[in-house]
Amino acid sequence: MNQIVRNLVRRKLRSFLTISGIVIGIVALTTMGALANNFNALLDGGAKYIAGYVPVGDASSNGVTGGGVLPLAKQGDIAAVPGVARVFPTIQVAAKPGALQVVSLGLPDYIQSLDPTENNYSALKITYASGHSLDGASGEIVLGSNFAAEFNKKVGDGITLPVKPSDAASDFIQHTYTVVGILDRTQTEPDTGAFVNLADAQQLLKDQLSPALQSTFDATLYVSGFNVYGTPGTNLDTLADRINAQVSGVKAQKPSVLVKALVAGGALFTTITMAAALLALVIGGLAVINTMIMAVSERIREIGLKKAIGATTKAIMGEFMLESSFIGLIGGLVGFGLGFAVTTLINATMPASQGAIFLVTPGLALLCIGFALALGTVAGIIPAFRASRMDPVAALRSN
Amino acid sequence: MIEIDRLSKHYKQGKTVVRALDGVSFNIDSGEFVAIVGRSGSGKTTLLDSLGLLLRPTSGRIVIDGTDASSLKDDEKARLRSSKIGFIFQEYNLLPTLTALENVMLPLHYASKPKGDREWARALLEEVGLEDRMHHRPDQLSGGQQQRVAIARSLVNRPSLVLGDEPTGAVDSETSAQLAAIMRRMNRRHQVTFVLVTHDLDLAAETDRVIKLKDGKVVADETTAPASVAV
Repeated sequence: MNQIVRNLVRRKLRSFLTISGIVIGIVALTTMGALANNFNALLDGGAKYIAGYVPVGDASSNGVTGGGVLPLAKQGDIAAVPGVARVFPTIQVAAKPGALQVVSLGLPDYIQSLDPTENNYSALKITYASGHSLDGASGEIVLGSNFAAEFNKKVGDGITLPVKPSDAASDFIQHTYTVVGILDRTQTEPDTGAFVNLADAQQLLKDQLSPALQSTFDATLYVSGFNVYGTPGTNLDTLADRINAQVSGVKAQKPSVLVKALVAGGALFTTITMAAALLALVIGGLAVINTMIMAVSERIREIGLKKAIGATTKAIMGEFMLESSFIGLIGGLVGFGLGFAVTTLINATMPASQGAIFLVTPGLALLCIGFALALGTVAGIIPAFRASRMDPVAALRSN
Repeated sequence: MIEIDRLSKHYKQGKTVVRALDGVSFNIDSGEFVAIVGRSGSGKTTLLDSLGLLLRPTSGRIVIDGTDASSLKDDEKARLRSSKIGFIFQEYNLLPTLTALENVMLPLHYASKPKGDREWARALLEEVGLEDRMHHRPDQLSGGQQQRVAIARSLVNRPSLVLGDEPTGAVDSETSAQLAAIMRRMNRRHQVTFVLVTHDLDLAAETDRVIKLKDGKVVADETTAPASVAV
């Protein structure tokens, strides 16, 4: 090992440039991997959540988005379908109406109705960092972790929502709520949500209508959709089919369709980001091959000497591969360290509403350092093979 | 003991076959101090490389301490070199990144010898008069000092045979005489056979036996009067 370090120090600039090639590749792999990790965590949480219930919207929707409002009375019709354990009415409105949705790796802020008992059925269990769940009283609100950070709110504070757009009409309606709970971070949808009881959500739905319609619209009779939970052992895709067949005017979406769409999106994102990083690494690997070939060329007499004094083919091959692996390992450690620093720095400077966009996990650390090590090792194979097969007589007498 | 039996090494140069060694046979007893002399192209270096198992002969046998090296595979030869043969080269061939002591210890690494042999390496460096240069790198040593390091390195694995390829060829006559005296002393003290290929007649005169090659054949094999050397 001592000799390897001295060999690297012997050609400082070349070693620095070669290791830099690996470092750049690993920084790219760390940042892209952390980006994909964060995105996948978001999707995984979402997939886990949506796999546990059947979303139902009105007939013109896809079950999740689009479409209009549904009569609350449909709740009873859906509950009567065999296999349904519980039906929760749901309403979701934008927390920042009129805001442009710029390119973002997070979810936009939203306000949603919440029945605390849904937590007993949902696959995604929400827990409280502080405060408590809604207890049914009007004017209470529970905030997701990012939402609370963005508005700098804590339990007991008041918050006025929805956020009034700068170009809002003079009759734009806002309500002031009291924060009673702040959720733990889930790394997925609830983080950017604010949760009120159904009656308050219905009022928000009504507020979105034009003044003319508001006077004739009884918000207490309508919702945006339903979250339907099955009895134990019920296949939710089959349940969605049954709801569609037995309840008119609604669209129940199969959870598996939504999960597949999420997983496919995540896989594509991961593939694109990781491919870009791997490309950078391959270039780094070529630099290692070049360096090692030059090292072999420069050390021909050394190789001849080592063979003369008893080094076997395996020993010579091992020495060069170890040196090449060491270059990879240093590149991996430095690259991961830099990548970690960059992602931590960027995460710290992200707006609270966005939350972290990079997620560095122990698995990613192992992947980055392990990949750099493997790359160095593989890059060393050809030069090491050439060195080990060298004719000792020719090597000893070379200039 | 080393037996060389009808050893030949032929090379092809275009359509011509060059007979670098042509049926060479002789024995060398343990502890001998032998010079191999001859003009350039006489086959001296080819013989030395063959004796060092670095070169595969076209035909013939080399037996070192009872082991017939002719049929050994490359890695078996490497192991035999590691245990039985030491080398001294004209250009020293020390690793520039290692200190004198580390260079001497290098063969121990390939022979997987225990670290306790570090003391033996130090003792050898003291024997060649480099006790105060152990931690110097080659570029901090003179040519003569580098060759003394190489002599110590050739002996560190306690070989039965040390092969020298023009060991005094890169130093002045005074240093050459010092190196010759050191090798002679090591030969006597450690009972190691030395076979030195040389153009240096002064060095050849220090040996017990001079084998002369011409056109790949032994043309003279003379025993000389043993020099008086302090052991």
